[in-house]
Amino acid sequence: MKTGLTRLLPYVLILLVTLALIWIDKPFWIQLAIGVAITAITALAWDILSRTGQVSLGSAAFFGIGSYTLAIFEPLIGLTLAWIAVAVVCALAATLLGLLTLRLRRMYFAIATLGFALSMQVLVVVFPDLTGGSGGIAPPVLADGDPRWQLGLIGLLLLAAVAISDTLLGLRFRPAFFMIRTKPELAAASGVPVVRMKIFAFIVSGVLIGLAGACYGGLYGYVVPTDVFTTNWSVLPLAIATLGGMDTTIGPLLGAIALKALEEVARSVIGGTGYQVVYGAVIILFVIAMPQGIVGLLRKVGTLTGRRTATGEKKKERERHA
Amino acid sequence: MRDTTSPSPARTSVPPSGGAILAVEDLTVAFGGLKALDGVSLSIAAGEITGLIGPNGSGKSTLVNTVSGQLPVRGGRIRLRGGEVTGQRPDRIVRAGMARTYQIPRVPPTLTVEEVLSVPLLYAGRDRHRLPELDNAAAIAAFCGLGPLFRRFCGDLSVTDLRRLEIARALACAPDLLLLDEAMAGLSHEDSVEVMGLIRNVHEQGISIVIIEHLMRVITTLCHRVVVLNNGRLLAEGAPATVLADQAVREAYLGKGFAA
Repeated sequence: MKTGLTRLLPYVLILLVTLALIWIDKPFWIQLAIGVAITAITALAWDILSRTGQVSLGSAAFFGIGSYTLAIFEPLIGLTLAWIAVAVVCALAATLLGLLTLRLRRMYFAIATLGFALSMQVLVVVFPDLTGGSGGIAPPVLADGDPRWQLGLIGLLLLAAVAISDTLLGLRFRPAFFMIRTKPELAAASGVPVVRMKIFAFIVSGVLIGLAGACYGGLYGYVVPTDVFTTNWSVLPLAIATLGGMDTTIGPLLGAIALKALEEVARSVIGGTGYQVVYGAVIILFVIAMPQGIVGLLRKVGTLTGRRTATGEKKKERERHA
Repeated sequence: MRDTTSPSPARTSVPPSGGAILAVEDLTVAFGGLKALDGVSLSIAAGEITGLIGPNGSGKSTLVNTVSGQLPVRGGRIRLRGGEVTGQRPDRIVRAGMARTYQIPRVPPTLTVEEVLSVPLLYAGRDRHRLPELDNAAAIAAFCGLGPLFRRFCGDLSVTDLRRLEIARALACAPDLLLLDEAMAGLSHEDSVEVMGLIRNVHEQGISIVIIEHLMRVITTLCHRVVVLNNGRLLAEGAPATVLADQAVREAYLGKGFAA
């Protein structure tokens, strides 16, 4: 259904834009691209989890755990092992949270994961000896503080996230994930180890968000709990994936670009802090106007120009209600 | 390969029952204080089509849900081909050789027929050589009359085709025993005749079948044997003609007015 060319598009896009920006070396564009890439990784990770029916509002927990793990472990075991520790700690947290929320469906799952993220923020402040409390902590600076190399590294992580997302959209995982989401009993009756698959998706998602959080912490080498454990990092991935188009790889990417562009335009036109209100309102309008996200809109345009059948849209619509 | 995917052998030294593919002993399942199954013992003969009947609430669906691993067992044991499967996970039981269908097939509407069938083919982990003609999605779809719909989205299928897909999905698990939960419910006469033909073809592949069914016509034409449940207990079992003529069965199943 999907041609090889469109499959390669995200990779080519990321590579070209990253290399071009490193070449041009304009600080504003590099910072913007870093912001887009980090949010895109979290949105892809959120989408991967949602394909198994687990709609999480706990991304901030993993984002924060990632940056704090890197900061806490780097002085103890060195930089390389600290990065491995980020993956291990996030995988453990994902397994634990996944098992605890296993039987919760939809809204209850979302609330439980939100609670986890909020309690992590409190936990950090409660143990100041280890975490620096509300004063923050200093993770190792990424790429010696050179924004171009920072963008390069974060671009690589984004490429990895895209490859993982694509793999999980392949025949081995996509049908099983969707079946778990629509009717877990049917998946189990088809031989799918449902619990193991849900935890697996949770681990992949949690580790990706944790690595993105560790990169974020390393941008300036200093984070406070409200930087990373804020609900913003829980809502943003969901908003981006919904805006861009769920169950796709290109959707979260386009969503991240659109949202960041929107934020920048709102900031420069309106300024102050008032821009956030307008920014929020515009997001709501977008979601209402494009229930299938940007990807859905593009498909609709494709339909009008006769490249796809009209029934293709109805299917997408049905899936969203499934 | 079969040995590694089989469940652990029976805990006691009871030998595998002669011709039984599924043996249920003293099975009790309860929801709170209500016993949905109350000490049911029965065995399903290998190679046969067995009808499982009984009035609403008699425990038919509870029995299917329990032996397929989706409801917890309070007492008793379940053995599949002599191996104990009591309390096993549903996906393990599928791998041990028992597949089931659902009455209301709820498949993801954005998946194609091909993609749905790929799931059991990838995950049920069964020895495909048992059904050499049916070892891939295209062959299974064609066998179930879904050949032309192979690349269609499930959201576009008719009720009859969804029923066919449910049977195809279960068939893709390469089962030794197939449990069909009201495969004909809500179908027109013509469609149910077609699905009955499909069930017969599945049986000819050497697969033992249990049918839960309300339509007596289906039971009498398809089944070699009938098992009747009432109030969570075994009421009768035997050849369809004998069982359906039984006064107790007629009263339980049809109500006293009809039975008179």
